[in-house]
Amino acid sequence: MGDEKTFESIGCALPRLDAWEKVTGRAVYVVDMKLRGMLYGKVLRSPIPHGRIIKLETRKAKSLPGVAALAIGEDVPFVFGATIRDQPFLAIDKVRFVGDPIVAVAAVDLDTAEEAISLIQLELEPLPALFDPVQAMKPEAILIHEELSRYAVAPGIFPVGGSNICNHFKLRKGDVEKGFLESDIVLEETYTTPMMQHAHLEPHASIAQVDRSGKVTVWSNTQTPHFNRKALAEALGLPLHHVRVIGAPVGGGFGGKNYFKAEPICVALALKTRGRPVKCVYTREEEFGAAPVRHPTRIRCKMGMKKDGTLLALQMEIIFDTGAYADIGPRVCRNAGFSATGPYQIPHVWIDAYCVYTNNPVGGAFRGFGMPQVTWAVESHIDMMAEKLCLDPVELRLKNGVEEGSLSATGQILHSVGLKETIRQAAFRIDWGQQEKPFHGKGIACMHKSTVTPSASSAYVKLNEDGSATLMCSAVEMGQGVSTALAQVVAEELGIPVEKVAVLYPDTDVTPYDMGTVSSRSIFFVGNAVRRATEDARQQLFEIAAELLEADPKDLELRSGKVFVRGVPERALTISEIPLGESFYVGTKGGGKGKPVLGRGVFNIPDATPLDPQTGQGRNPSAFWMYATQAVEVKVNPYSGRIEVLRIVSAHDVGKSINPLLIEGQIQGALAMGVGTTLLEEMKLEEGRVLNPSFTDYRIPTSLDVPEMIPIIVEQPHQNGPYGAKGLGEPALAPTAAAIANAIYRAIGVRIKDLPITPEKILRSLKRGDGEKER
Amino acid sequence: MKIKINLKVNGSLYKGEIEPRRTLLEFLREDLELTGTKEGCGMGECGTCTILLNGKPIKSCIFLAVQANGKEVTTIEGVENPDGTLHPIQKAFIDYGAIQCGFCTPGMVLTAKALLEENPSPTELEVRRAISGNLCRCTGYQKIVEAILASVQEGRG
Repeated sequence: MGDEKTFESIGCALPRLDAWEKVTGRAVYVVDMKLRGMLYGKVLRSPIPHGRIIKLETRKAKSLPGVAALAIGEDVPFVFGATIRDQPFLAIDKVRFVGDPIVAVAAVDLDTAEEAISLIQLELEPLPALFDPVQAMKPEAILIHEELSRYAVAPGIFPVGGSNICNHFKLRKGDVEKGFLESDIVLEETYTTPMMQHAHLEPHASIAQVDRSGKVTVWSNTQTPHFNRKALAEALGLPLHHVRVIGAPVGGGFGGKNYFKAEPICVALALKTRGRPVKCVYTREEEFGAAPVRHPTRIRCKMGMKKDGTLLALQMEIIFDTGAYADIGPRVCRNAGFSATGPYQIPHVWIDAYCVYTNNPVGGAFRGFGMPQVTWAVESHIDMMAEKLCLDPVELRLKNGVEEGSLSATGQILHSVGLKETIRQAAFRIDWGQQEKPFHGKGIACMHKSTVTPSASSAYVKLNEDGSATLMCSAVEMGQGVSTALAQVVAEELGIPVEKVAVLYPDTDVTPYDMGTVSSRSIFFVGNAVRRATEDARQQLFEIAAELLEADPKDLELRSGKVFVRGVPERALTISEIPLGESFYVGTKGGGKGKPVLGRGVFNIPDATPLDPQTGQGRNPSAFWMYATQAVEVKVNPYSGRIEVLRIVSAHDVGKSINPLLIEGQIQGALAMGVGTTLLEEMKLEEGRVLNPSFTDYRIPTSLDVPEMIPIIVEQPHQNGPYGAKGLGEPALAPTAAAIANAIYRAIGVRIKDLPITPEKILRSLKRGDGEKER
Repeated sequence: MKIKINLKVNGSLYKGEIEPRRTLLEFLREDLELTGTKEGCGMGECGTCTILLNGKPIKSCIFLAVQANGKEVTTIEGVENPDGTLHPIQKAFIDYGAIQCGFCTPGMVLTAKALLEENPSPTELEVRRAISGNLCRCTGYQKIVEAILASVQEGRG
């Protein structure tokens, strides 16, 4: 209160701490690591979507010179799964998708490993397969996981036994039928989104080594080192100190590197190589299909409004195709389900979200965690309602948008709600309301997103003898700049320049517990833990300094890297003058005194609540909510169907900006991904097989495909955030598709409800005469 | 069968024998341990393996090492000035926030270097065209383009 603190590091557009090593090519990613005696792993994957393993003949492969180890499912009868333990290290008895790993080989080089794979004789008996989640949900559908009701399931996930539904999330609020009856207008539509690939440029990579004591060390480009350590320990029946996960700079994650990916294959092999490390790197083709994808969805949306635009009722059925294994799909489904209303106040809500097994590639976490899909539906829908009621889309959103103190659909009292400011700023910046040129149109869309709650993060801050500091935490630097932002927190609290802070890469033997670098949670959770750890370090420093300064520790303060006695500015010591255990020089000031300073900090949300299994109600399912609004301008060629996005304005409530340079980078990067989502990206499948597993056939945006992108930072501080900060990594791609679709409608009167929006779809709609309503 | 090759990499002479099927990327990463050059797809689609061959950007994952015989290769490790200071493009990448995960960065910097040597004052569109074969999934390209354009002005003083 009245704390007009000025910041030295927080809020500054500082360049990244890891920029030098990256721009010189010195950064060592897991793909670059080479260990003594290292072997190279390759996998034989299922060529069919569903089948029984009848015969597996591996003798020839095993005896090929240069082959060090070969593993099949029976060798490693372990299962894993981030929500449901349904996935074996290597297939046992059955395969469930094209790409399911069956046999792994480790050899002296990749060529030998590949040759060994080609020598394996595999016979599969095809089983009927399911590719459409709507079909897979039916009671008579064949079961992809016969054992579903016997699997270990994480809390808050509700599989439907005897079916392919691995989670059914329900949200019930008010009386939705009454809401529709009281509405002046009710509209129902169905929207779809396709399967997508993260397409991080660094593929999944992992190296595993087992030492003589049985300790397993895994180098991995995972986003979740501590989760992986625990999961590996549980799978292998090892104590935690016998599993070590070591991280590295990650070449893009976007959720694709959450939980186990290449790790089980490496570990299966390393258990058989007598100490030789085994490295596995996915090929780009494996990235498409064998690695996780964004869930395709089918979303039915029914909305009721009063004539004046008051939103009364929303009913949705959201079906996620999670493919052959659950991975984190059930939580994506839950997250989309409880957030499906968008950032609006709606009294009557009824949501059913289903996560459904099929024989398609596995759906995992992907930037936005279900929000891009539901936002596509709801934000398109709101514009269609606005059109019918002759209301302005911006005004309609402002009318129904949440604000400080609003009640969420689950009954949470919302705090730190910058939504309306993002709407106003985005609309202003795109010149909303001005006359459009022919075939030009502007569109707007909003979004909100929760963060995984409860979850915990911890940190150590070690002070070094020269007054520099080393931060030990398990936040994964995957390009977003988290290590720089966290170093800014340490620098701020110690009053030292950010260059004097080193941040270690995660190493579960050294860096303390963190739930994972997921869900835009790091600056909030890890940031708080780091701040507390730095405060703890400062306190320890004061204890040591107090003796030298002949003062009470309570009377000391730290400013600009110096410890002062409050009110006596001449009694001060720099941090480097305070002994931290380097006590050779007995007789000098502080010689033989002091002790190492290691600050510890932890952060979690103590009052998090689960959601009621029947109603989805709960008063704190998310530690904070992120809000954003995007406004775009497009130009559509009515003869070719070509869509040109001219500019995108994206306004984000970040709570408090820690580093605007990094924030802009996150927004622009997600926007480019949003443009890809809208106009280009779709994994095409035939009988579960990916038809376009390359960058030639699956196009991600190039430098010529992205428009001018204008990020706007809105700060609505959160009382629990470090300096008020909230997350940011995910939001910007969620509203892009709807904003562009809404703009296209306003340009040529064509409404596309199935992503991606291609020129073919535009032309087809125009031919049907959809554009005739054009104003 | 191995073939004799003789080439310059980042100013140093390399003489040796190499399997004819070895790609230039494998040669650089595995034999010379120059891991700054990345492999993102192995099919010449993503541009992370971009190096300069006699000053022209090529994709080293679809280029045989023996084809580089008698030529001069520049990788990201050879872009800094001899005294260890950074090239203006590298400096601009840092200052303009053009780096995120860093995996595309070496290829991007080399493509930009080749562009500016051929066309010292490109327009924004020319920059965008030049780097359109180098994919980046993190930045949305805007800050990369800004950095390249800024390094031009810096170079002019």
